[in-house]
Amino acid sequence: MFFAGLDIGSTITKVVIKNEKKICATVIKPTGAEHRRLAHKVMEDALSKAGVPFEDVDYIIATGYGRINVPFADRQVTEITCHMRGVNWLFPAVKTIIDIGGQDSKGIKVENGKLVNFIMNDKCAAGTGRFLEIIAGVLGVKLEEIGELSLKSTRPSDISNMCTVFAEQEALLRLSEGTPVEDILAGIHKANASRIHSMVKKIKIEPEVAITGGGAKNRGLCKALEEKVGFPVVVPPEPLITGALGAALIAGEQIAKIDKEELQERQKKRRLEAVTFFDDESTKAR
Amino acid sequence: MAYIAGLDIGSALSKAVIMRNGTLISSSIRPTEGNFVRAAEHVLADALQKAQLAQTDIERIGACGLGVAFIAHPFTKITEISCQSRGTHSVLPTVRTLIEIGNQSSRVIKVTPKGKVADCLVSDKCAAGSGRILQIIARVLGVSIEDLGPLSAKSTHPAKFTTGCAVFLETEAISRVAEGTAKEDIIAGLHRTLAAKIAAMAHRMGVEEDCAMTGGGAVDSGLVKIMEAEIGKKILAPQEPFITAAIGAALIVAEK
Repeated sequence: MFFAGLDIGSTITKVVIKNEKKICATVIKPTGAEHRRLAHKVMEDALSKAGVPFEDVDYIIATGYGRINVPFADRQVTEITCHMRGVNWLFPAVKTIIDIGGQDSKGIKVENGKLVNFIMNDKCAAGTGRFLEIIAGVLGVKLEEIGELSLKSTRPSDISNMCTVFAEQEALLRLSEGTPVEDILAGIHKANASRIHSMVKKIKIEPEVAITGGGAKNRGLCKALEEKVGFPVVVPPEPLITGALGAALIAGEQIAKIDKEELQERQKKRRLEAVTFFDDESTKAR
Repeated sequence: MAYIAGLDIGSALSKAVIMRNGTLISSSIRPTEGNFVRAAEHVLADALQKAQLAQTDIERIGACGLGVAFIAHPFTKITEISCQSRGTHSVLPTVRTLIEIGNQSSRVIKVTPKGKVADCLVSDKCAAGSGRILQIIARVLGVSIEDLGPLSAKSTHPAKFTTGCAVFLETEAISRVAEGTAKEDIIAGLHRTLAAKIAAMAHRMGVEEDCAMTGGGAVDSGLVKIMEAEIGKKILAPQEPFITAAIGAALIVAEK
């Protein structure tokens, strides 16, 4: 039996194909404007990587902000639940999850494998991946490199603005004053970590803490968050896929709840194809 | 009677006025362009030249603004809020509620009948409530700030925005453009979003008539109109909404 989880994020699309025991394949691709309706392409990639024909996949769950645009999914589940499940499978001891996405950030509380509370910011770019992306842009450093570079800083500069627009200007001002880029970046990571921390602490941060999402790939941000949190944090080997992994896990459970005939009926109807139209719901911004 | 200079070195614009006996002799406005030292020097030199005066003719300088510390001449520092209040009072004496929309911040100031500050609310933590949004969206749409008002007035179906964040608003505006929404409707939608935020601040303080708007936001007639609708009161705008704080700085320092 095979199960699939698709996580259509604002910035990156992730697919996990799983059987009862292990992960068979994972694919990570940029979402892009057009790719919002091309989830089937990423799915095809994942299937060929796993060597599994589409017909053999028993249950598919879509999650993420673009979950509505996956016509071949059996069910949609919110990314909060999926992240929680994915992290819980990888790290059963984790009680607090900090997810830093491309356009939002979330805090999720887990108890005995159940979601007990969450908090989210998708109204303001501060504390999200977008903040780091914009600053990397003005400093002329690649997004993938800013974390490592910030770790070289000996005197982190003081970035007093939380707002992305103002912090961008502050970073430029520091640059014109001759502050080394690594010191500016260290200050920027501190500012972003402090914004995320002040949100997540509202739901009480308890160990263990896991960081997921694109932000978890940034070692500088993880270190700054670790300092704020006050104890070590864990990061999955591939922090981008926890949502898709959780979706695949939930897909595996769903199968047990459905009888065989209905399952076969569903599989017959399923088509691996693009979204041909957007309904009102899916064309809403973000 | 000697000449007095008032300087307001802001994050986007630097303003200078030369006054004598409470009368405006000359004024100058220049972009700050990230260099406070040069901007302060140039804007004062420009105002002096317009008045055909030399630096030595100036008896005192009163100054305010983000870049106030970079002024090379001896000056008296006065808070922006006091300067705004006093300067606006000198041109519009009936004003009791003053809404200033600057590049980096917005302020609502309650002004006493004598032009002093009775109360004040400031939004400067985030670009969401500031004039910066107007610049960002004007750039996305390829129009100038002065065009925003007339375009907004033509809107029939103002676009709805789901966020106040300047960064996300920019993204949403680009999405709207891609979907074919008219510029006019995007601008009117933006004006509503911004006006709602500032009006909430004004209501928190209590709006007493007359109301006035200064700073860069006052140049945008569309924003002024929608703000009027939001707070339900007529809003006056000084003829030169940029230099009110500089005028206030000169008037206050003259009395010291």
